[in-house]
Amino acid sequence: MSFTIATTVDEALVALDAGARPIAGGTDLVVGARHGKAALPADLVAIDRIDELGGVELDSAGVRVGALMSHAELMTDPVIVGSYTAIADASALVGSPSTRHVGTLGGNVMNGSPAMDTGAPLTVLRAAAELRSVTGSRTVSLDELWAGPGRTTANPGELLVALHLPPAWDRCGSAYVRLEYRRAMEIAVVGAAAAVTLAADGTVASVAVALAAVAPTILSVDGVNEALVGRTAAAAGPVAAALASEQAAPISDLRASDRYRRHCIGVMAKRAVDAAARRADGESIAVPVNRSLGIGAA
Amino acid sequence: MAIAEVPRFVRADGPDKVTGSGRYAADINLTGQLVAKFRYAGVSHARITKLDTSAASAMPGVFAVLTAADVPDVIYSPVVPDRRLFAKDVVRFEGELVAAVAAVDAATAQAAVDAIVVEYEDLPIVDDLEAAMADGSPLVHQDWESYAVTGDTVQRPNVASFSSIEKGDVDAAMASADHVVTSRYVADGCHALPIEPRAVVAQWEGEKVTIWTSTQVPFGARAGVCETLQMPASKVRVIVPHLGGGFGGKCGFHFEAHVAALAKAARRAVKLVFSRQEEMVAPDRRREGMIVDITSGVKADGTLVARSGWIAIDNGAYTADAAFFPQLAAMHVAGPYAMEAVKIEASLVYTNHQPSGSVRAPTAPQACWALESHTDELAAMVGMDPVEFRRANIVDEGVEGAAGQIYGEIGLRRCLDAAVDASAYSDDLPDDEAVGVAISWWPSFPGPSGAYIKIDSDGSGMIITGAQECGTGSVMTLRMLAAKELGMEPEDFQLVYQDTSAAPYDTGATGSQTLLNNGRAVVEGAREVAAQLRDLAADRLEAAPDDIELASGKAHVSGSPDKAVSIVELAGVAAEGEMLIGKGSGTPPEYPSVSAMCVGDQGLAGWAGPQFACHAVHVRLDRETGVVRVLDVSAAHDSGTIINPVAAHGQVEGGIMMGVGQALTEGTQYGDDAKQRNTGLLEYKLQTAADAPTIHTEFIEIPDPNAGPYGAKGLAEAPNVPTAAAIANGVAKLVGMSVRQLPMTAERVWMTSEGMSS
Repeated sequence: MSFTIATTVDEALVALDAGARPIAGGTDLVVGARHGKAALPADLVAIDRIDELGGVELDSAGVRVGALMSHAELMTDPVIVGSYTAIADASALVGSPSTRHVGTLGGNVMNGSPAMDTGAPLTVLRAAAELRSVTGSRTVSLDELWAGPGRTTANPGELLVALHLPPAWDRCGSAYVRLEYRRAMEIAVVGAAAAVTLAADGTVASVAVALAAVAPTILSVDGVNEALVGRTAAAAGPVAAALASEQAAPISDLRASDRYRRHCIGVMAKRAVDAAARRADGESIAVPVNRSLGIGAA
Repeated sequence: MAIAEVPRFVRADGPDKVTGSGRYAADINLTGQLVAKFRYAGVSHARITKLDTSAASAMPGVFAVLTAADVPDVIYSPVVPDRRLFAKDVVRFEGELVAAVAAVDAATAQAAVDAIVVEYEDLPIVDDLEAAMADGSPLVHQDWESYAVTGDTVQRPNVASFSSIEKGDVDAAMASADHVVTSRYVADGCHALPIEPRAVVAQWEGEKVTIWTSTQVPFGARAGVCETLQMPASKVRVIVPHLGGGFGGKCGFHFEAHVAALAKAARRAVKLVFSRQEEMVAPDRRREGMIVDITSGVKADGTLVARSGWIAIDNGAYTADAAFFPQLAAMHVAGPYAMEAVKIEASLVYTNHQPSGSVRAPTAPQACWALESHTDELAAMVGMDPVEFRRANIVDEGVEGAAGQIYGEIGLRRCLDAAVDASAYSDDLPDDEAVGVAISWWPSFPGPSGAYIKIDSDGSGMIITGAQECGTGSVMTLRMLAAKELGMEPEDFQLVYQDTSAAPYDTGATGSQTLLNNGRAVVEGAREVAAQLRDLAADRLEAAPDDIELASGKAHVSGSPDKAVSIVELAGVAAEGEMLIGKGSGTPPEYPSVSAMCVGDQGLAGWAGPQFACHAVHVRLDRETGVVRVLDVSAAHDSGTIINPVAAHGQVEGGIMMGVGQALTEGTQYGDDAKQRNTGLLEYKLQTAADAPTIHTEFIEIPDPNAGPYGAKGLAEAPNVPTAAAIANGVAKLVGMSVRQLPMTAERVWMTSEGMSS
């Protein structure tokens, strides 16, 4: 049993290579252990003091978001709120103020829950994950990263150090909405993110929609771009809803039946497309959309 | 407000609780203390074919392993004694105790629990209320007829307690109605869910045991220990450190005897601390699931003439304190309405679920939800506004209620007017918003109670009371009552309480009764001390004792404020001679008699100090998802005189939040194995601070001569009663029909609006 406090990524990678598991905020790891989901790993390496893992930086390839960015930081970061708003919407809905302050983007992504809030926004914004190990680094798409509920394709020695987002372009907007039964300490019953770019005439130029909690991993809606391009935003929403409901593969559990989830994911997809299009059109809709537009329990 | 000129004062326990310096039962640690863990049945209904604790007992670090064979064979519980400390032969719910272990640490105790070998032969699961009542159903208790039930309790196969209320000829009255409406409503069970999971620490000295426990009823806990371990009360001392909430879940006797028995066997102090899951599965105090069928007859002009009802209440595997539930549920399905004839039958049905027991206003929120939803259906049937329909049919002064009680001056009509007027009921609202209205009632519970009052040599006061503080503030209000009698300030008094060896008996933080009964005791005790002070002052001031007034910390001659002596000075004099000590108990208010015929009478058809309320709740519905949000609650309550307005507002606000949870998100989900599926706070969804609506509260203060001090009635439970009903009526307006299951989850609301049944 060991607990290593790393101050550089390299130190952390050495510990990981020796079999330790990383801990940042611990909001999944510790709670999961307490609930008997998985025992705490015998060897832990704390990565929460590694400066290199923080920050949001603009670079020529777009934006690099450090894996240690907390949800509280993301929901107020000007770059994220300004250009990648769906991530801020999602971060603002996570847990409670205390979980948002210690919980990190990297933890949310690597925990691999199908109900993760930041997953659908990152997917529609075409984020890529930068994984590093003692032997080198690689960048993978999120599609490649998530393998199933609670599982990723990262090797045990690999650490997620950052997420890379492509540059934002003109007249684009994004949003994340979720079905929730209360306004704090909630987990998405279903959730949907959309990223929309509008053409000069106000019709949809490009669109992506991704869904949370309706499949073993975050689900990108197939064919949504083809179906929606050229439509007005108002006409796009119902089409997105139909595609989302059709492609969702929800389960029944204590939170909802599969039938209700399938219905609601369509509602959430439509609302996400609507809000993303309005943001693309320059409308300021405060983060999170769930509170601003009266979605679910707002 | 009758007595307090300063409405705000600092709770005696406030600073300790806020700063963290206060101590709760789980904070108690004694030298050599062992850790207790329980072995639960884990199955809902089975015969024990093998129980072998030898491996557990042999483990290093294990000091005691107990089963039914190691404790007296006592069948206990009030009114319907039907359970033992540990399962004997048969387990009847998943959380039933089969064995208990005391060991050096938690890991060892758990390992020993796991090493206990138990084998079962499955018995048929009984978990459907109607099927359980049908002829030929498997029985939860094979030997139910041998139980030594008390009073007028009526039992039937799989029915622990049956009650009916019957007045007039319901068939004839129903035949005279122009419209007859029948409704069925089904409520899921839910939990009290105090944030502090319970803890118990026991330590023996010779033949005496001291038990620190998180209970709402220290004297009730002591009685349970005495009954089950066959000990005299003089050998058992129960102390409650600060209590982290109860909401009824910590009423009654629970695990104090198990821990005491472990401590005796181990010859060491033993401590039990529950996990959240244990707190949700093991205690015999959950809010009962219920099926309510109501039929009412109304005249075309909206006059209610007759009501019949059938109620099945989920008792769970054992009866705990629930024998009175059928009669109370029947009273709530009758409701505070006048009508010619009524016949309501209610059964407390054994199942293989966790036992039900008194959670804040037992039976009432569900029954009120059913009745008040039904009442809006009646109003719609005759084309009346629901508020007008209520105005036309509610009980009032001089009017006879459903059970035949004739009321004095009551505030129900004023509550209805005040809550509706304060709400947006008459406003034009967006098409996804509506205001629902519900009225309710709830009894006050007279009972014996006692207190001592003393003033020490430095002039500081002390109240030694049997009362239990549950977070409600009612015990703190006792200081205001004593201060008023003695011309002192509330802050001049300390409390000694929550210790059965220090104070006279009190029923505890149960039945909204602390102020009602212990308030009377404190006032009486303080009056004795006041008389002693007047005698002393009369000597010093050369006046007659009757001419002495106590005010502002002084005793002065009536009409001559300057002819005065301070109470501090008098206390110093008394300390050298006859000391300032008073005692109080007094005669509880009387239960009124009623004219209805009550089969299985548990004494709750006639109510002393009846409380009335109306909630008008403004809701918003997300039509596409069925998610309901409560925006605003206007509450009006007649709980008689309000002694401590700050605490009273807190009670109403807390009761409403609990009601919002029961209305929308809180419900136990069972598997086919009759085990609970959502036994954690992730899947059992409490309301959070972020969900809280704006709450406006108005008190209709009508002093009740047959109630507590200054005409105060109870208050702690009443605010929990009508909230879910009012929310339901708001939702029904938006959906176009009632949602007939509680909680009215988003999915159920959506299904109702889509015309689907679930």
